[in-house]
Amino acid sequence: MASVGGGSKDTLSLNLNPMLDIFSILITFLLMSFSSDPVSHDVDAGIELPQSTTIVALDEIPSIIVTKTEVRVNDVKVADIVAGDVPEKDRSQGAVYPVFTELKKLAEANKRLAKTVKADDPTAKGSTGALTMEMDKGHRFKLMKRIMIAAQQAEFVQFKLMVQKELN
Amino acid sequence: MSRKKKRRSLPYKDVELNIMPFIDIFSMLNTFLLFSAVFLSVGVLDVQVPFLSNQPPPDDPKDSRVFQVFVDVTKEQVEIQTSYTRAPEQLQKFPFPNNADGIKLMHQKLAEIRKQNAATDKATVTSDDEVTWESLAAVLDGVMLRVEGDPIFPPAKDAKNKERAELDAKIYLYPKIVMGSVMFK
Repeated sequence: MASVGGGSKDTLSLNLNPMLDIFSILITFLLMSFSSDPVSHDVDAGIELPQSTTIVALDEIPSIIVTKTEVRVNDVKVADIVAGDVPEKDRSQGAVYPVFTELKKLAEANKRLAKTVKADDPTAKGSTGALTMEMDKGHRFKLMKRIMIAAQQAEFVQFKLMVQKELN
Repeated sequence: MSRKKKRRSLPYKDVELNIMPFIDIFSMLNTFLLFSAVFLSVGVLDVQVPFLSNQPPPDDPKDSRVFQVFVDVTKEQVEIQTSYTRAPEQLQKFPFPNNADGIKLMHQKLAEIRKQNAATDKATVTSDDEVTWESLAAVLDGVMLRVEGDPIFPPAKDAKNKERAELDAKIYLYPKIVMGSVMFK
């Protein structure tokens, strides 16, 4: 029997071929799944996205994240979700009020930025841009509508709704 | 003239390939790829909500009669409604069950409607409150996106970004989706 200890003169050769095989397969798989999307975003652990056949890639980090239990705007928790809806205290005229207040600040910042970019055009109005939303697939449209109304009041009219691309 | 080659048998040497650098490179590449791998591919569906403004649309003559497409989603069914903005309205309704087969049929009908009214590139989607985002996303997929076999419709003439509009024409059946039920109370 071969031993690594002193005394024996047997040489021990490690067969590296199986390891190389595994490495090659792993690298082939990883290179195939290597993403060239403009933005790499890890979906929140508490969120399951609905499937879609869209080929339009995500191009910005989501501003609104709606997990099973809370609503976050720019990674700051603004409201809880109880039984699939926001509590009564956070609602106002069909919208989620804390979402509105946070988005209003964001809209103002986006407008200022847009004006700075178009500084040479004095007639140019600042644009709020599009709002990317990541939402759990189990939520009802009622909640999505409340958030969209809040965004609408903060002058966001374009939405990018995050979905999971179906693998062909 | 024939020549006889003398074959000399070379002395056998036990050649060993040094594969350690190869393994080093593989290990580094593996680590890098594992860190940067994205196991979930994420996409987006572009929609808009109605925006109330007191300004009239820039190029919408008051007497124009425009064809419009609505898709109404409930838990049980998806209904396409088509009509004109002015009389005669010619309202037509096409209901389909809200399941995978129903959404396929709905998509075929929408492609047919778009063929007959290529200039209308906007569809208004209204949804019941109880419809889940998963179910709505499936309907939006069916309304918005082209599938193999659908014709490519020319982009709108007034598009600001021509290149983008041409690319969108290849992706979308109805590039403009308005979430009609998002209205401030």
